[in-house]
Amino acid sequence: MTGDDLAGGARPQRRLPVSPGWLADARSGLRGRLRPLSSFPLGTPPWPATVARPPVERTLGTDYDSDWARSPLARTGRAVVQEVLAAPLVKLLAAPTVTGVDRLAHLDEPVIFAANHASHLDAPLLVSVIPDRWRRELFVAGAADYFFDTRIKAASFAFLLNAVPIERQRVSRVSARRVSELLEDGWSMLIFPEGGRSPDGWGRPHRAGAAWMAQRTGRPIVPVHIEGTRRILAKGSSRVHPGRTTVTFGAPLRADPAADPRVLAVRLEEAIAALADETANDWYTARLRAAAGTTPALTGPDGADWRRAWALGRPRRPERSRRRERWPWNA
Amino acid sequence: MRALRVERSLTRFAAARISAQPHPLRLADVDPPDLPGADWQVVRPLLSGICGSDLATVSGRSSRWFEPIVSFPFVPGHEVVADTDDGTRVVIEPVLHCRIRGVDPVCPACAAGRTNHCERLVAGHLSPGLQTGYCRDTGGGWSALLVAHQAQLHPVPEGWTDEAAVMVEPTACAVHAALAAPIGHGVTAVVIGAGTIGLCTIAAVAHLRPDVTELIAVAKHPEQRRLARELGATHVVDPDEIRRAVRRATGSWILDQGQLTGGAGVVWDCVGSAGSIADALAVAAPGATVVLAGMPGHVGVDLTGLWQREIRLAGAYAYGPEPAAGGRHSFELAMEVVGRAGLDRLVSARYPLDRYSEAIDHAAHAGGRGATKVVFDLRNERRR
Amino acid sequence: MARPGFVLEVDRSTPPILTWHGEGFRLERLPAGRSRVIYAPEPLKPLDDPDEEIRQALLHPMGDSAPLPDLLFAGMRLTIAFDDISLPLPPMRRPDNRQRVMEAVLEMAAAAGVDDVVLICALALHRRMTEAELRHAVGDRVYDAFAPSGRLLQHDAEDPAGLVHLGQTDQGEDVEINRRAAESDLLVYVNINLVAMDGGHKSVATGLASYRSLRHHHNVRTMRHSRSFMDQERSELHSSNWRMGRLIAASGVKVFQIETTLNNDAFPEQMGFLQKREWEWTARDRGAYLATTKSLSLAPPRVARSIFQSIKAPHAMTSVYAGEVEAVHRATTDMVYRQQLVAVDGQTDIAVFGLPHLCPYNVNSIMNPILVMCMGLGYLFNLYRGQPVVRRGGVAILSHPTPWAFHPVHHPSYIDFFEEVLADTTDPVEIEKNYEARFANDEWYRHLYRTSHAYHGVHPFYMWYWGAHALEHLGRVIIVGGEPRSVRRLGFSPASTLADALEMASDVVGRDATITHLHCPPIMIADVS
Repeated sequence: MTGDDLAGGARPQRRLPVSPGWLADARSGLRGRLRPLSSFPLGTPPWPATVARPPVERTLGTDYDSDWARSPLARTGRAVVQEVLAAPLVKLLAAPTVTGVDRLAHLDEPVIFAANHASHLDAPLLVSVIPDRWRRELFVAGAADYFFDTRIKAASFAFLLNAVPIERQRVSRVSARRVSELLEDGWSMLIFPEGGRSPDGWGRPHRAGAAWMAQRTGRPIVPVHIEGTRRILAKGSSRVHPGRTTVTFGAPLRADPAADPRVLAVRLEEAIAALADETANDWYTARLRAAAGTTPALTGPDGADWRRAWALGRPRRPERSRRRERWPWNA
Repeated sequence: MRALRVERSLTRFAAARISAQPHPLRLADVDPPDLPGADWQVVRPLLSGICGSDLATVSGRSSRWFEPIVSFPFVPGHEVVADTDDGTRVVIEPVLHCRIRGVDPVCPACAAGRTNHCERLVAGHLSPGLQTGYCRDTGGGWSALLVAHQAQLHPVPEGWTDEAAVMVEPTACAVHAALAAPIGHGVTAVVIGAGTIGLCTIAAVAHLRPDVTELIAVAKHPEQRRLARELGATHVVDPDEIRRAVRRATGSWILDQGQLTGGAGVVWDCVGSAGSIADALAVAAPGATVVLAGMPGHVGVDLTGLWQREIRLAGAYAYGPEPAAGGRHSFELAMEVVGRAGLDRLVSARYPLDRYSEAIDHAAHAGGRGATKVVFDLRNERRR
Repeated sequence: MARPGFVLEVDRSTPPILTWHGEGFRLERLPAGRSRVIYAPEPLKPLDDPDEEIRQALLHPMGDSAPLPDLLFAGMRLTIAFDDISLPLPPMRRPDNRQRVMEAVLEMAAAAGVDDVVLICALALHRRMTEAELRHAVGDRVYDAFAPSGRLLQHDAEDPAGLVHLGQTDQGEDVEINRRAAESDLLVYVNINLVAMDGGHKSVATGLASYRSLRHHHNVRTMRHSRSFMDQERSELHSSNWRMGRLIAASGVKVFQIETTLNNDAFPEQMGFLQKREWEWTARDRGAYLATTKSLSLAPPRVARSIFQSIKAPHAMTSVYAGEVEAVHRATTDMVYRQQLVAVDGQTDIAVFGLPHLCPYNVNSIMNPILVMCMGLGYLFNLYRGQPVVRRGGVAILSHPTPWAFHPVHHPSYIDFFEEVLADTTDPVEIEKNYEARFANDEWYRHLYRTSHAYHGVHPFYMWYWGAHALEHLGRVIIVGGEPRSVRRLGFSPASTLADALEMASDVVGRDATITHLHCPPIMIADVS
């Protein structure tokens, strides 16, 4: 008998052979072992402190140029990686149930997908379930400070997700122009308007970037609600627990050219909250509450941390099985 | 004299089973049978029918049940119309019971008149044999001559054709079967099978069972369907339609396993196969009677429904006094039915003894070839 | 730009014409100089934003109806009835029209805070739909919101407690409809008008009615006086339904009717050749035709059937109207005619109808011989306005394999009808007189209709009545390639090839008879002058 089996002991966690934590460990270990090889003269020489450095051309963060990731070669490579590796892996880990695609049936223009954000899994998950019409010409708005801080990260995300750097706080002119050019060029965008993953399971207030971009380009915004990714890979966790997820696409929202973009931002936030309500209860209840203005907010109650955690409760929806069983297996 | 004779030969029976040819049967010149006693006389067959049980015997498919109650070698043929020496035309009632066998005192069944239930089929001065046509000492209908006891002879009414007369014996069986199920009121009934027994049963039910208001006949072949309708069936259906047809007629339900929740009050199974008995049990109403009029032999059937719905499974063999018809004898009633229903039309083909192989084959596939009763015609035989 | 329908005069250079033959098709050469082929108009351009058009229709209704939001209030009883599996054909790709419309209606109901909402599938005496079929029709969102709590119902024409008798029309017709629908503050009916017969007062008066009510217009006399039932002005079926509909309105049942039309884009792109004119077939079309027919000829019937039943049509919505029943239906009918009407000059001696794998009553099921009769003589024969395509005493040639095959769950009473009734007589009047009551009141059929997925016991009779006018009108009916046993049971003549059939027809209509081939589906209505 091992300690794990003792009464009251924690249940053993199933740990995948490859998890982010393991990768980080392995990477630093490897770096330590390779250090002798990378020092001068095998590696680059150190710069004398007394000699002035020439100004460095900034090529990371918002300045990262990801155009190469949309070259035909990169697109093909990405398509292969997504279909052969990413999509099956996502299915295995997240078993997504996708609903609401029918709401997009008559759309055939580029759109902005705006989703809630709770996990690193969100982007790969969406990239594998967004309908074909948009999936191949989709870029992901990624936080410039997080995904584009090193050359390797920047290149990987640009290649794998077609990520384009964007500021979290306030969209700069450069990135705004780049994004709107892409949208007008026929590309669709996936953006997480909360500006980052949820630290505690509750949503965070939206930033206006998505709405602003929709207003500027005239593209419709498709609200998307993702449920369940946090249970699989939460922020700050290095363990992956395979589970089930639900992705709900909402009806596209269009900007009113005359109105303030913030109006659209509010509508978007409400739409995603209503989709969450729809996932947790049913569509008509969600519509009744949306009409009455009583849709539960995604940001959760105010108050102490424990109260927010308490209010979050267990997974909100029991697993529903669509399998029909036949006699004699269900007498 | 010439006779078709069945001999005890395991190899021949085995060969018949495999090849479907009448190997146990041989056309031979044999000595005429001796008169076993004083009340016996010689009769000369005119027509002699080929019955389903005969076919089972010559094709080696009959049950071993018969082994102790037949005696080899025998001349088959128990549906016989014949001439006596004094020129009277008679049909033979073939059961060889106590009185005929010289058993005295007679067994309780014979004492009660129920000679078809006779308990002494292997006793007395005759060799074992349940009927004429299965006994070594009496001869049988498929020959020029046989011997018969006084008590076996029923004179044929004036003006009847031989064809009508030869139908009396099978019709008597059908009459007995028709009256084997209790009389009810406004009964929906089913006759499965439209061979000789099936059609005769339909006719017998139509004439003797006014309580049967709706009679569903199951027939496979077009000619059978036509005859079944003419003889009195109110509906005639294909074998795979029977359950639905009975369901419709009785307004019952049909469940997933194919059994009806209600069904027919009486079912006459004139086929005797596993499938027909299963159909009979599926369409019989709770408390109903299923009468096996055709010789069944070895069958595998699920009897759960019989138990759950208290169905009575009744055999109907041969003939006797019919309590349901005021004690009148089956043969007497059969004569009426044959006459009124014109059952002579069921005789569809006549063969001389020489062409016995063809005759047997025709009889075995009668339905598909539009035939019902195939007979041996011996009217030319005896003159030789 | 969609081209209108077209009548082709067959000459020596005309290619063989595609003729439907159940789960398959044949290329048939028609005699030159005396044959013509009617082609349906091409699909109309669909609505750009159907959801917005639906919203606008609900906000600006027709007739004397108030906008839908004004009819909705908190605390009301709202019932939404919708068409069943028989529409459209083939079933359309998701999202279905019904889903779009119902979501729009429910969106407004939610805005008004309506809690008591019940959805009813108006299936009349058709079979109950399965969960998957309902999900396809109303969409997962609506299904998940209403079905688990028992608020998504299927009309039960045999539930005494669930029906209410509203009275009799001036012609003595009983009007008995679904109680919940009748006793709601508002009854919204969501239609798909695939053909001109659908919709109008027929929606409620037929879709939500009981046998007691339906028998007044689903009978031989009515069908013989509906010429055709695709033309409301000359259809006794519609007159009766209109009388009933007016009585329903007069009884205080408030109906808000929503009708949608579809274009006739019936087959997916890879089967595009099915709706093209043969001389315009590209190499790809010809390849697709050859590959399809070859593989179908190799496939066992079950497989072929499941392939065809899995076809989802790319039908698209071309119009939506809402409001008062009669005003809405006038507009809808115009749209249906715009898509389907083809002007045809005069009648002919022989009509050739290629029967597809599908009719309204065998979606996800088997097209049994009775449905073959109904499809050929009920539907295709009646796709006319003015006068039938074939003259009185003429010959109809149907093309269908007509197997002796029935779906045991969906069509139990059809089997009995075929085995018992048709074995006795094929005369609709005799059948109606001698058999209808027994089948209609059979407890077992009733049980299966109410609890399983079976058509009502009387439904095969209606199929036969549907063809009653044609049976009376035609001199002879020949089925090409049909299983002889079942064709004869139907009372028709089997022929192995079209040439044989034309030869047989010449006994009735002479050597130089004129021939018209209805190239259908896609659906069209021949406007015969």
